[in-house]
Formats: sequence, structure tokens, C-alpha cells
Amino acid sequence: MERRAFLKAGGASLASALMGSGMLTWSARSEAATISQTLYITDGTKTMPDGVSLYVKGYGTTANTPLIPAPSIICQEGDTLSITVYNMLSVTHNLVIGGLVSGSAPIASTGDIAPGGNKTLTYTIPSGAAGSYLFYDNKTSYNRFLGLHGGLAIMPAGISNQLYSGSPTFVKQQFWILNDIDPALNTAVKNGTTIPTSFTPRYFTINGLSSRPPGAAGHGDPTIDALYDPRSRLSGHIGDRTLVRMLNTGMCSHAVHTHANHMEWLTDRGTVRPSVWKKDTLYLRNNLGKIDAIFPFEAPPDAYPPVTSGHFPMHLHDEMSQTAGGGLYQFGSMTELEFL
Amino acid sequence: MGMKGGSGGGGGMGSACYVYPGAPATPGFVTPDVLFQRGIYMNGSMTFDDGNAVTIWGFTDLAAGGGGGMGGGSFPSPAMRVTEGQIVHTALTVNMMWMHTVHHHGIEPSQENDGVGHFSWDVTNGTYTYQWRPSHAGTYFYHCHTNTPLHAEMGMYGGLIVDPVPNPNDPPGTKRAFANGPIYDVEAIWAADEIDPAWHTLQWSAGTCGGDVGLNNLNPRYFIITGVDGANSALTNPGVAVTMQKGQRLLVRYICAGFHPQKIDFGGLTATVVASDGRPLPQAWQTTSIEAHSAERYDCIFQPTTTGTWTVTVTYYHWRSGAVLGTARTRINVV
Repeated sequence: MERRAFLKAGGASLASALMGSGMLTWSARSEAATISQTLYITDGTKTMPDGVSLYVKGYGTTANTPLIPAPSIICQEGDTLSITVYNMLSVTHNLVIGGLVSGSAPIASTGDIAPGGNKTLTYTIPSGAAGSYLFYDNKTSYNRFLGLHGGLAIMPAGISNQLYSGSPTFVKQQFWILNDIDPALNTAVKNGTTIPTSFTPRYFTINGLSSRPPGAAGHGDPTIDALYDPRSRLSGHIGDRTLVRMLNTGMCSHAVHTHANHMEWLTDRGTVRPSVWKKDTLYLRNNLGKIDAIFPFEAPPDAYPPVTSGHFPMHLHDEMSQTAGGGLYQFGSMTELEFL
Repeated sequence: MGMKGGSGGGGGMGSACYVYPGAPATPGFVTPDVLFQRGIYMNGSMTFDDGNAVTIWGFTDLAAGGGGGMGGGSFPSPAMRVTEGQIVHTALTVNMMWMHTVHHHGIEPSQENDGVGHFSWDVTNGTYTYQWRPSHAGTYFYHCHTNTPLHAEMGMYGGLIVDPVPNPNDPPGTKRAFANGPIYDVEAIWAADEIDPAWHTLQWSAGTCGGDVGLNNLNPRYFIITGVDGANSALTNPGVAVTMQKGQRLLVRYICAGFHPQKIDFGGLTATVVASDGRPLPQAWQTTSIEAHSAERYDCIFQPTTTGTWTVTVTYYHWRSGAVLGTARTRINVV
């Protein structure tokens, strides 16, 4: 059910469009616009790397196919978001846009959406709100773990290459939305039984997918393999500085580790860092933690002879997350860093 | 099903999947300035303060007479120490019974020399020489990147320090954290790790062909600093606890070597954090504690102005619940 689905809102366009590219594409505007999106809360099943099929929920663009994560939305300060959400399921759901600072109250909500009903969230983005946001269902504490989540990028007004006015610049941007899955939760929700009070995740995803190493079924398929998913994979030439908006919708804290280059660490939990540190490993908190960082696509500095191309991993260094079903190392939350 | 690998030995018997055996020639091989010859051991052990012990795997120094498989060795593995700009070779020899790699964490070489199995090869039945040239002084570590959750937990890691090129204007013997960085007199490397004994009964390729061997669920019972039990031993072990003179400057290289998040509290001393992950900070950061996650490193300068003893505590938190899993303690003694 995973789709390469990203939204483009360029010029004075008032409607969103789903793009085939994995990257968030953006052209700054001098005027505000209304960004419209229609989403359907629906359910389905998703096959884990070990073949286990799990019940999931997601925000889709059609009435019967959940997308995990939801199509990303990009807009700029001053725009008005108009998100209409249809609830196709038999229990009440919602969609909220989480606050910029982790732990702060949501900035907008549809309110409760009854089964079969719909609500429209309308929110005009104030200046100073530029940053990375998770939208999700907070009707329960666990709905976002089931797949009801997506990324919202708010750009500074009129700026196309900065996270916030005055930030280091980038030429590309992407989301890494991390999730952890405990089948006991998914099964309990499906069967309407008691929700577990403690979770032990067994599957780990980045933008809804897990990696598949060479030789595995699905390796190289961008709809299955997180190594090749263009929403996740960073691919660039030297100098293609890429902003990565990392959102943790899952249960666990993570250590995000890039090979080949250190990252420029811009924000932690929605707050701009006092200065930009260069890090090869970043502590991404659970409970809706978030980080913005730039992967600079510089020549790997310690190669001899020097190189400018190659393939490297980004993986989580809390290595339990690199497994599936209690084993299968290399089938977890990982993607590829491709130096063209 | 993926490629099959070798099996057996001190890590136990068993088939392996999604491994990429190889030991090819090094692209662009040149004569190095520094050579590390590493073997592996698969039957070491560590005994804790309560008398219990677990199996430990690690790397050996073949040049120093280290063994090549079934025996034991030091834990952590022998440290590597090099100088910025040197061409370094890490020659890893593994026999046909196992597969391993060396990933120099934080060092950023070419793909072939990065030591990640499925992006290059898992070394077996021969020697692969990783060639790299460090460009930034600082604190790193090296570890095996084959079936990484298990092999790193089993102990296959060691410290890796890159020193700056000596400043010709400094007196001989001057030690700096990085070029034009702070001078230090005393150094400590604290690799804080946690041990789940249940994982230490597994064979080297456990779980790679599927099946639930519990690698998603690390429930540590022991908490260690640089291979020493943090329950009591690390409080006094001379390889961990620091004894320094008042007026001296201490550099602590803190490595978060476990998989769960940690907090290191310096017991009332204030650290001046000057670098992280092998890069100087734009401005030094003063703090009495640091929260860190797996594989982060922080370089901390201390210059106590009074004599005394400070107890440093590393607290380990569950990655999901945030519950305290345990603590490890050591000391800074200023005399």
C-alpha cells in the first residue's frame, strides 16, 4: 500500500498534487495560497518482512487504500491549510497537526470525525511557524502507531532553500518518518480486544517501509525496499545539500546514524539549536520527537584515494531497530545514501 | 533466500543468510603509515561483580600475538590510535568459520572500506585491508557491522582515537583534543554499554535466516564502563576510574556504546564539552550531565580546582518506556 506520494504546491496553485518523485518539491511564492488536501481514514493490511500480515490504518487519498505515511504536505507561512478528512471506519477518529515544539499542544484539529462522517480542518499559518510537523490521529494514544500519520513542511514565506529564515541552506528536502510496530497492538485494534498496556515493537519502518538487503525478495523495489524508496533514500551529487525532516511517530527513541558524511544538526524537538553541530549520530527522541538536519553530500572526508561516489547506509544505531520479527538483521529501519 | 555463509565454532553452529562473503584486494592499495592487524575471538568472557559471567566476542591484535578465533581476548577490543592525515590500514583476518567486518564508526571512507557487509562484503576465509585516512581529530570507535545488533552487543568494539598533528609551537609531548583545541594532561575513555545475558548465548549468525531470536528486545542486566562492571568495580578499576592532580586538565572521551539511551552525570563537576562525534563544537558547552544515544561521542574537559572525589553515574533508560534500566558508576579522584 505504500506509494510514492508527495505534494507539490508551487506558484499560486491552490490545490495539491501528488508527485512521482520522492523529494518534497517547492517553489517559494510572494503571495499566500490555500493548500487543499482530501484524506480518507481507512484500514487494510500490510505485510511485514517476515511475511506476517498486520492490520493497519492510514490516511489515504482514496476511500479504500491507506497510505503510510500519508502524502506529505508542503506549504509556506501565510498559507491557509484546508484539509478535509473522511472517516471510512466504524470508530471515531481525527486529524491534528502537532505543535512545532515536541510536547506542545496541537496547533489545529479536525475535531472528532464520526464513523462515516467528514470534517475540514482550516488553519492559516502564522509567520514564525516554519518548521517540520507531524499530523496524526490523537483520538487515542496509539492510533499514530497504526499508521495514521504524515509529515507537514512549513517553509518560511518566500524562501525556498532555508528551514527557517537565516538557516543554513539546502537544495533538496525529504522526510524520514520513523515508526515502530508491535503486532499485539495492531491485532488488538483489529479484534476490538483490550489494548496492551506495554509494547514490545517487532518491526521498524522509515516512511512506512523496512529495508531489504541484496538477495532478499523485494530488494531494489522502491515500493517494498526502504533502501530504494525515493521518499527515504538520499541521492545526490557532491553539493546537493539535503534537508532531512526527521519525525518520530513511533514508540522508541532512536540514534540516527549516517555513514559517509556528518549531518548539520539544525533543530531538536522543534527548537532551533544554539549553534550548528556536525554529528554522525543524532538522538531522536520518542514521544513525537523530531530533528531537522542537513546531509551535506560532501566527498567522504576520510577516503583514500579520494572518492566522490558510492553507496552508504543511514541506519538507526539502536540496533534492535535493524531487525524484523526478532531476527532478520538488515530488514529494519534503514535507507541508502547514494553519492552519484 | 540470500547468500549463505560459513558457520560454527565458538559462536556456535548455524547457517547464515543475507551475508556477503569476501576478502578481495583493497582498491588503490598503498603503503600505509599505520597498520592494525586484527583477528577475532569468539570465546572470551566477562565476569560481573555478582560472580556471573557471559561469553564475549571481540577483535584481537594479531601483531601482539592475539589469537584468531576460538580463544578469548581483551574487552573492549584493542584501541586504535592514529594521527590526522595518516594513511591507515586495518587488516582484518577471519577464518572460514565466521564472518565479520570492521566499521570505523564516524570515519567516512570509501564504500569498499566502510565495513558494512551488504554494501561491500563480510570478511571470511581471508584478510581484507580497510584503507582510510582520517581527516578530523577526535573520538571514534570501531565495531563489527555483520549481524550488528548481536555482534556489537557481544562486545565486538574498541576505541578509536584520532590525534591532531602536533603543533610545532607546542612543547614536546603536548596533548590536544584537536588542532588548536584544548590541551589535556590526563585522558579517560569511557565506553558505557549494557549487557543482556540472554543475547550472549546466541551463535554468530543468529536470526539472519529468520525466526525470532529476540534481537528486537534488549533487556540488560549489567551495566558496564569500558568493559568493567559499573556496579562496583568501575568505581576503583584503574583502567576506568581517574586519578589526577589538582590543576591538571582531564579529557574524558565518552562513548555511548550501548543500544539504549543514556545519561552521564558528572557528580557535581562541570564538563566543558569541546567536541562531539569527532568534530569540534562551534562553542564549548558547559554542563553537569549529557543525554546521549547509541554511538554518540562527547569529548569533555574537566579542570577541578579542589581535591576530592566525584562519583560519575551513567543511567541507562529503556528506549521505549524511558524506565531506568540500571546504572554504572566510576570516579574522578583529584589529589
